[in-house]
Amino acid sequence: MPFMEFVNFYLMPGIVLGSIYALGAVGITLVFGILRFAHLAHGDLATLGAFAALGVVTIFGVSPWVALPVAMVACAFMAIGIDKLFYDYLSERPKIIVVMSSLGIALMLRAVVQVVWGVDTETYTRGIVRPDDYWGIRIRDREIYTIIAMFLIVGVLWAFLQKTKWGKAMRAMSDNPDLALLSGVDNRKITMLTWGIVGVLCAASGFFLGINTELKPLMGWTMLLPMFAAAILGGVGRVEGAVIGGLIVGIAEETSVLFIPGEYKAAMAFAILLLILLVRPTGLLKGKVL
Amino acid sequence: MTSQAIAERSMPKNTAPQKYSGKPILTMTDVRGGYGDADILHGVNMQVTEQQIVVIVGPNGAGKSTAMKAIFGLLKVRGGSILVNGTDIAGWKPNRIVQHGVCYVPQVNNIFREMTIHENLEMGAFLRKGDISASLERVYTLFPDLKERRNALAGNLSGGQRQMVAMGRALMLDPSLLLLDEPTAGLSPKYMEQIFEITRNLRDAGLSILLVEQHAKQALAFADKGYVLAAGSNRHEGTGQELLADREVAEMFLGG
Repeated sequence: MPFMEFVNFYLMPGIVLGSIYALGAVGITLVFGILRFAHLAHGDLATLGAFAALGVVTIFGVSPWVALPVAMVACAFMAIGIDKLFYDYLSERPKIIVVMSSLGIALMLRAVVQVVWGVDTETYTRGIVRPDDYWGIRIRDREIYTIIAMFLIVGVLWAFLQKTKWGKAMRAMSDNPDLALLSGVDNRKITMLTWGIVGVLCAASGFFLGINTELKPLMGWTMLLPMFAAAILGGVGRVEGAVIGGLIVGIAEETSVLFIPGEYKAAMAFAILLLILLVRPTGLLKGKVL
Repeated sequence: MTSQAIAERSMPKNTAPQKYSGKPILTMTDVRGGYGDADILHGVNMQVTEQQIVVIVGPNGAGKSTAMKAIFGLLKVRGGSILVNGTDIAGWKPNRIVQHGVCYVPQVNNIFREMTIHENLEMGAFLRKGDISASLERVYTLFPDLKERRNALAGNLSGGQRQMVAMGRALMLDPSLLLLDEPTAGLSPKYMEQIFEITRNLRDAGLSILLVEQHAKQALAFADKGYVLAAGSNRHEGTGQELLADREVAEMFLGG
């Protein structure tokens, strides 16, 4: 197979899909690291974000790119609200109960999407967009924006975590929660801040999946496993690891069709997850042991 | 017999004049409590006055660290009072206690491993608003080793340097009372002496320090006051020198 064909039909789609996974995986890794549980409603929160953007597009007739920031803010408040109503209420209970409750939240969020928007497949814009040719690399504008936006969003988050007082407090909470409390860090504020960020990331990943494919009530749920695989592959609690993990899982899924039937594409994430847990449970960058 | 009565009976009859008789910073009166339903502390009485080093010694399981955690709101206090600068802080949350001028260095897990030395110190000053450079400079002056390696990850340091980071973090808020839980556990004699010297310097600079220490003899040698705890209540008290000279204390608690 010619090299450019590999790049155009397998590698580039893999990077685009990987960027979408990365946005979700960063959120998963933050919840894992700071709040210490596996958030199973992550995918469906992304679905809600994607449909919230669709709602803005249909009601106001604006471009999806204008709707994205609105959906991010809406999703952030949604995530903070879910935490206040459910996860905070269960915070003193064993973590497995919080994990199971997040599965319930996932079903509730999906039901809300199905009630409001129906069960049909939707799109942000109609019509087919042909890819442009850049020195032999064929890529659509929206795909370029997806990759740029992922690096931009994660870059801003990374700078926030490294440079600001509250970002450092989030890292401290992930590193040593008891000592963070002894230093006077308010657990509630960190939790709310984390959920706000997670909501923004969820909306972004749902939106970019929607704009590159279609919007379906199950779109986020099917992303859940690859996103978890990406977070664990990168090392739990490691933001930069989640990006690397997301890109690897995305590229692995897209290139897997060269070797195995396309129907088994989704199994790639599962295979990667099993492999990393067997070989290196702390992930590529040393993360927390689960 | 109640534990209160035991505590009273074992009090020394004539309390020697203390080296410092400044205003009390910490006064614990008949503190009882534990982690779960069972009490570990059965009436602990302690006082730390201004600019004093007070050492708690006693056998394993005597409740030394537990008494310290009780001050810091890390266990259920079911009775008694804990006055810090005249305010009863029993039952307060740790972040409020920190704001009240009490800082605590736990025995283990007392640093942020994945953050740099500098970031550890910054986290210590989390509750402070405004410029912290003067406090940073003060801590770096106390621990010159740390300044050289300020951008190193704290988790990569040696045991002694980690302890310095832990103490430095606690000092960033300029506390009036510092609680140190076995700061020399597992350290080499060189680092132990260094930590003790820094502790003395901090006292001389005006800080009050409550210290739980396994190296009881060395600690009592420079302590202004010592308490011997056993089975969750007071057994003996006196100046460091008095306790060192006390035959019973020496035989029972200091290994002869």
